[in-house]
Amino acid sequence: MIQFLTDNAIYIVMIIVLIVWTGIFFYLLGVDRRIKSIEKEINGDKNEE
Amino acid sequence: MISKSYNLCIKDIKSELRTRYAINALVMFILVAISVILFSIGNEKIQPELTAGLYWVVIFFSAMSGLSRAFVSEEEKGTTLTLHLIATPDTIFSGKLFFNLILTFFINIIITLLYAAFFEGFVVNNFILFLVTFIFGNIGLAISSTIIASIIAKAGSKGTLYPVLSFPILLPLILTCVQLTIFCFDGTSFDNALYEMAIVVSYDIIMVTISYLLFDFIWKE
Amino acid sequence: MYWKILLFVLMTFVSIAGIAFPIVEKPSVWYEFPFIPGLGENAKIIFFHVPTAWLTVIAFLMSCIYGFKYLKSKNLNDDVKAYVANQLGIIFCILATVTGAVWAKFAWGAFWSWDPRQTSIFALLLIYGAWFALRSSIESEEKRATLSSVYSIIAFVTVPFFIFIMPRIMTGLHPGSADDETSGPIVNFKMNENMLLIFFISLIAFTILYFWMWNIGYKSILLKEKIQKNF
Repeated sequence: MIQFLTDNAIYIVMIIVLIVWTGIFFYLLGVDRRIKSIEKEINGDKNEE
Repeated sequence: MISKSYNLCIKDIKSELRTRYAINALVMFILVAISVILFSIGNEKIQPELTAGLYWVVIFFSAMSGLSRAFVSEEEKGTTLTLHLIATPDTIFSGKLFFNLILTFFINIIITLLYAAFFEGFVVNNFILFLVTFIFGNIGLAISSTIIASIIAKAGSKGTLYPVLSFPILLPLILTCVQLTIFCFDGTSFDNALYEMAIVVSYDIIMVTISYLLFDFIWKE
Repeated sequence: MYWKILLFVLMTFVSIAGIAFPIVEKPSVWYEFPFIPGLGENAKIIFFHVPTAWLTVIAFLMSCIYGFKYLKSKNLNDDVKAYVANQLGIIFCILATVTGAVWAKFAWGAFWSWDPRQTSIFALLLIYGAWFALRSSIESEEKRATLSSVYSIIAFVTVPFFIFIMPRIMTGLHPGSADDETSGPIVNFKMNENMLLIFFISLIAFTILYFWMWNIGYKSILLKEKIQKNF
């Protein structure tokens, strides 16, 4: 097991990077959606942006 | 416009000579800075490269401690509004720039003389190159510090922010001037230093242009 | 909405390709990178380090543009946009400095050696720091906006000088430097097509990411100001 992990360390790095990136992406997606809903709430029906 | 900015410059010089605050403080600052460097060197023989660096370090910091006064003192005395009334921004900037130029040349001549007297490594082998470097370097230093000083005068905290804001702007100039000073010590011919010289001159021109363009916005604030 | 999916796909591809694709002497399959003398496995950092440095410059340019716009229009929204651009810029600047330093430890043997590129990024870091110091020292909003716009324009004007003077004053260690014999300029010659392709995909992905973050950032500040005005 340990031998397998040390041989393929670069793939483990890759998987970690992917997990982090997915986390950042969905976090940003959530924040974006929240901001859009607040924008709608404040501006009413007219959209300035 | 020129006569008006000349009058402004004369007024600044007169008010400076009345109190001699900046000049006294600056001369003492230079003495203190150079003696600290001399103490820390001791009997060590330092290389020309290091001497050139130390020379511009002292020039930079004495400029930082003295040149902000041009605008800050107006702001302190509350005479900014009067200046607004009597002159256009361009005129005021020219006047302040002349004053700062005179001040820069004054303090830097003192620094150079002190360096020539106390530092063994400070031997200029190419005098013309050194003179040109000195003149254009000081002009660039005066221009950049004047425009930053006008920003500082409008901002709240005056003393500490000035070197912080000026350093990144002056960094290209100072690096090139240090290089040129090393050339002077080595006795490099003028032709070989043309590239660096061109950088310093273009820096001066660009900073003058951008300063005159942007000073309007700062002054009206 | 589609560009978000595109961003996700591109960035995922870049992370997989940039990290996992092997580096071999003679690339024969499309997913193999060529071996660059002097860089070796370290060459892979190009997919992540260069985009951060690129974004630092983009952010700097944007703060300059919006500073200019503010001076023309006196619209405080432009100042907010410049502010957010710089906020992201300083983050990416620190990232570029740190990733570069870590890479330098393995490639050159020291974290910091005042290479021209390192000096330039350090100057950028100083400019960003000075910009935020200037902003924090001023109370009034209009004054703060004007002075910081002016400062970012002045600072932007000095940047080209670094490009011209650095190579003359210091010896370059960085790949792509003018006097680099072994591995540079890598962008033009030493990378093969697939490596270049992934490099540019990485640049595009990072740029989209930057603009998305910037969008969210300035919108949230504008909303906050709107709420404060209404209640």
